[in-house]
Parts: sequence; C-alpha cells; structure tokens
Amino acid sequence: MTTAEPILSVRNLRKWFPVRRGIFSSLFQEQQYVKAVDDVSFDVAKGSSIAIAGESGCGKTTLARTILRLTHPTDGAVYYEGQNIFEMNRIELSEMRLRMQLIFQNPFEVLDPRHTVEDLVGEGLVIHQIEESDEVLHDRVIKALEDVRLIPAEQFATRYIHELSGGQLQRIAIARSLILNPNLIIADEPVSMLDASIRTEVMNLMTDLQKEKDLTYIFITHDLAQARYVGEYLIIMYLGKIAEMGPMEEVIQNPQHPYTKALVSNIPIPDPTEKRERIMLPGETPTPIDLPPGCRFKDRCQEFGPQCKPEEPELVEVAPNHFVACYLKYAAQ
Amino acid sequence: MTSEPVLQVKDLATYYYLGDKELKAVDGVSFDIQSGRTLGLAGESGCGKTTTAYSIMRILAENGQIVRGSVKLGGLELTSLSDEEIRKVRWKKASIVFQYAMNAFNPVLRIGRQIVEVIREKDDVSEEEAVMTVSSLFDEVGLKPERQNEYPHEFSGGMLQRAIIAQALACDPQLIIADEPVTALDVIVQNKILDLLRNLQKKYNLAVLFITHDLSVVAENCHDVGIMYAGNLVEVGDATAVFKRSLHPYSYKLIGAFPSVIGPKKRLHFIPGTPPNLLDLPKGCKFHPRCPFAKDICKTEEPEFREIEKGHYAKCHFAGELDLGGA
Repeated sequence: MTTAEPILSVRNLRKWFPVRRGIFSSLFQEQQYVKAVDDVSFDVAKGSSIAIAGESGCGKTTLARTILRLTHPTDGAVYYEGQNIFEMNRIELSEMRLRMQLIFQNPFEVLDPRHTVEDLVGEGLVIHQIEESDEVLHDRVIKALEDVRLIPAEQFATRYIHELSGGQLQRIAIARSLILNPNLIIADEPVSMLDASIRTEVMNLMTDLQKEKDLTYIFITHDLAQARYVGEYLIIMYLGKIAEMGPMEEVIQNPQHPYTKALVSNIPIPDPTEKRERIMLPGETPTPIDLPPGCRFKDRCQEFGPQCKPEEPELVEVAPNHFVACYLKYAAQ
Repeated sequence: MTSEPVLQVKDLATYYYLGDKELKAVDGVSFDIQSGRTLGLAGESGCGKTTTAYSIMRILAENGQIVRGSVKLGGLELTSLSDEEIRKVRWKKASIVFQYAMNAFNPVLRIGRQIVEVIREKDDVSEEEAVMTVSSLFDEVGLKPERQNEYPHEFSGGMLQRAIIAQALACDPQLIIADEPVTALDVIVQNKILDLLRNLQKKYNLAVLFITHDLSVVAENCHDVGIMYAGNLVEVGDATAVFKRSLHPYSYKLIGAFPSVIGPKKRLHFIPGTPPNLLDLPKGCKFHPRCPFAKDICKTEEPEFREIEKGHYAKCHFAGELDLGGA
C-alpha cells in the first residue's frame, strides 16, 4: 500500500460457511457454501488507518473476525508483523492478542454491568496475567482513563456503567484496549450506536490517540461518510470480495467500480440544497451462496457489456495504490 | 399554505410516570403539516420524537399520558377521543410505519392475509374485494401481487418495508407517520423506499411526519424540519432555512456534526456534555449547560417558542441575534 512495512498482510483469505441441509439434499446435491469472504488480499501499513466498507452481508465483519483469528479461515493467510497468525502457537497467539485489539459497535453489550469501571478497564491485564501489584494496576487504569479523557479518572474508576452515557462507555471500551498497549486496533462500527452530537468527539479522540500511541486502525463501517472522516485508505467490499480499494479521497471523489459509483451516489448529503444524480441499482444484494461464475456484480451492473469476460475479474491498479476489480478498467491498462 | 393543515399539534406535552417520578418526554411541542408535505422530526435518542408520534396515534405505553395540548387531524381533536373512537382513526385517517419491519408482521400468517384483516376491520368490504385491494397495493409499492401469499421470512428487509407501506396505505389515510422507516436498511435500498414514499405522497397528497435521527436523510427527503431536544421542539421551519440559516445553537451544532461524502472535508462539530436526564431537567433553557452562547437569562428563564422569520420558529432567547458560526 505504501513503502512503509505492513503491520498486517491479508493473503487470499477465504471464509466459507457450509449451508446446512437435510439428509435428502445432502445425498443428491453438492454442498453449498456462503462465501462470506472469498479471496481477499490487502496490506495495512504501520501507522495508517484503513476503512473497510460495504453493505450488510458483504463480509466485512467476517473478515475482521478472521483477521483476529476468532474464526478459522477456509483458506489463505493473515500475516501480523510477518508471522502467519493461523500457524501461531498458544503463546504467540496470546502475545498477538495483546497487540491486536478489537472495539465493538455496542459498548452496552460488551461491558459487564456488575463491575466497576476500574475492574472493566483492568480486566485485560488480569486475564493476560500481566504481573502487577494492585497499586500499579490501579495506576495503569487511571492512566488509561485519562488517555480517553475520562477526567477526573479517579471518580470514573469507581462508577458502574449504568451511570454513564453511550459516548463515555465507548471511551471505556477504548481504554480497555489501550491499557494493553496494542499497536493495531480493529474497530467494528465504533460510533454507529452513538448520537451524532457525541460521535465526532469519539472519532476525534481515536484520531488523536492514533498519533499519541502510534496506532494502526482498521475501521469496519457501512457508512462511507463516516469512513471518510476516520480512514486514509478505503476498501469497498461486495459479496465477499474487494470491488475497489484506494486512497480515501480518491475513491470517494472519483469512484471507478460501477458498484462504488452507485454506493457513493446513494449516500445522503446533510444539505437540502444539494441535488445529486443517484445511480439506482436493480434488485437487492443477493446472498453469497452459489454465486454464478464471473463478476459477482454483473446482474446489477449498469455498465455490463461485451468486455465483461466469463471469469471473475482480478483487481487491477488504475492509479498508484488504487485497485479496481472490473473489466471496464482492463481496457485502460 | 392557505389551506387548513392536515395535522395541527399545539403545545403537546406527554409525561411518563415511573413510580412517583414524572418523566417529561414531550413538553410543549407545536407544529403543523399541510397535505402533500413532509415534516422531518429529528433529534437524538430520548429527545421525544417517537413519543410525539405515539401521542398523535395514541399508542403510548400504559404509564404514558398526554397531560396538555391538542392534536387535530383534519379538524378532529384526537386527544379527547375515547379508545373506541381513536381506533376508527388509526389506519383510516392516520397510519404509522415502524422501523423494524421484521417485527411489524406476524411471522406465522401470510402477509396478504394480515393486510386483508386490516382492511376488513376498517372498511365494510368483502373478502374478495379486500384481496383485490391488496393486489393493487402490492403493485403500487413495487411488489409482485402473487407475493401476498408468502410469509414474512420469505421477504427481504426492503420488501417487508414495502409491504408495511402497502398496509399503511390500505385504508386511504390523510397522514402517514414514518418512525425511522429506513434506518435498518442499506443505503441503496433505503433510497428506493424513500423514493417510493415520496411518489406515493405526491400521488395521494399525503401529509407525512417523518421521524429520524439522521439529518442527512431529512435534508434529502423532507420539506420542513423540526429539531427536538430534551422534550422540546427547539426549531422548526422550511428545510433550507433550518439547514442554511439555523436559529438555534443546538440545531446548528447538530447539523454540523453530520459528515458528508461531497465537498471539502469540513471540521465536524460536536457538543460537549450529554443530553440532560429527563427526570432532573435543568432550569431555564434545557440546552444551556451545553450551549456555548448561554447567558444568565438562559439559566433561569425558559425561552419562548417564537416565529423569528416567516414560518421559521425557534426556542432560544437569542434566536436570530447570534453569530452561530463564530462560536
């Protein structure tokens, strides 16, 4: 992606889920799969922030879960600092888990209401059996709370989550990750649950923390307008595959894949005087079961034509670091 | 603007009773909607937008009560109707489209069946006539009429939302309340549903109350906009006026908090602090603890909801006098 050494490399990653069947069809039909992630490769440069976007069912969350080895892939590899995470032993995996942290969409579901903020934030250190005296543990919790601007930290530490707002809870979720000194944070829709007036504060906090702590971010989001404000690089997924990826502003302002064009044109604009032409796609996104051969977007594509070959299109580089999986772009090569 | 509005809400107040506590979910909300127009009612969680809708339809939870004000639909006062009388209004004169289409239908009954039931409950028609009506409604919302024999699980989210809209239209209402009708949908499907709503509105000259937390959706789909905060309507007016010449500091900040995919990347706004606890509201203007312009009067006196320019109202002591961008 850039000249900097990648912190994470995803190579030909596949995650297929078998479709459950009855006894009769299992005898006479071939096993079908939901191809949630299907041959995905990309690099994440150290210190960068990338956003993975797409509609529901495009595979973005499965991709994140597989990168974290929360689920085993069907095929392919994920290299974290050069080492394939699927070949790590337990000790190596535990090390990696410290450095690669996940932030979920809904902090209400993640945080146990019976624990104090101090217990919740310090939990990671206890689980990973990082030997610390009670005083050091307490100091690290206070430091982490200060890092996410929950001040006065001593006061917040004694509270329970029902006493806190959604924005404060999401900051506690971030503090829980930060206390382990991660270098890569995967955030799955981190601000989608939050109200607009506090969303920006959490996004700004994450951007500031990235500089302070030298973090790398992977944001998973369905909202391209939000993605534009958190990521430098954008990956657009459609039915388990990367349709387009490139520098954020370039992809948003000048999308190349017909799907990206349609998606961007459909994002509502918070300005009633702005009237834009929308690209309407026929039908709805199908489920990625038993996809027809060739380009998976062809049935809905407004630019489908004779150039579209029966095989699946590969990603081609149309500008530096800007890749598109579309036969229309082959001619330009 | 000369004709009588379809919906007139005046000084509506709805409280919930929690034990011996009084939660002022909606406290003094006034607006009108003309036929053929859409009012977008926007605000953050807990601002009272859904309670306003439920108060109009009189579908509040048991501990909720309209304590003050008036709701007139086509001249008929709804707040004083008996349960029996309000039942005749629902679906016939006003219907509501909910956010989670999945939960709006009974999963074990065919979809067409459920709409036929509504029609036959409200109108004196035969089974065959009702089925015919459903077929033409399905056609109108872009569903194949034969799909009325299917069950809810056989429909996608977008299709269910279309079926709900068909149901809402079944008895020719004058007003449709859409409570976050597209929030659970992906953007492309979302726009298809919004286009459908807009076309139907034109065709039947419907008044629409559109409730959402997403100001981008409001900007693209509503003629007028109302912004709510802590149970108050803080600003209402024509969409362009509210977005381009905001009068209330809260509306200004909230609009500025929404990111856009076009134009240069602007600095997004945020509002320090959190909305107040509705059980323990601040004195004076409810926004004053978070307002960068708050002066002494804001802490003691509740501002009036007043017309600042034609058709553009705000509830702020200094509306029209502030340089909001300068904060």
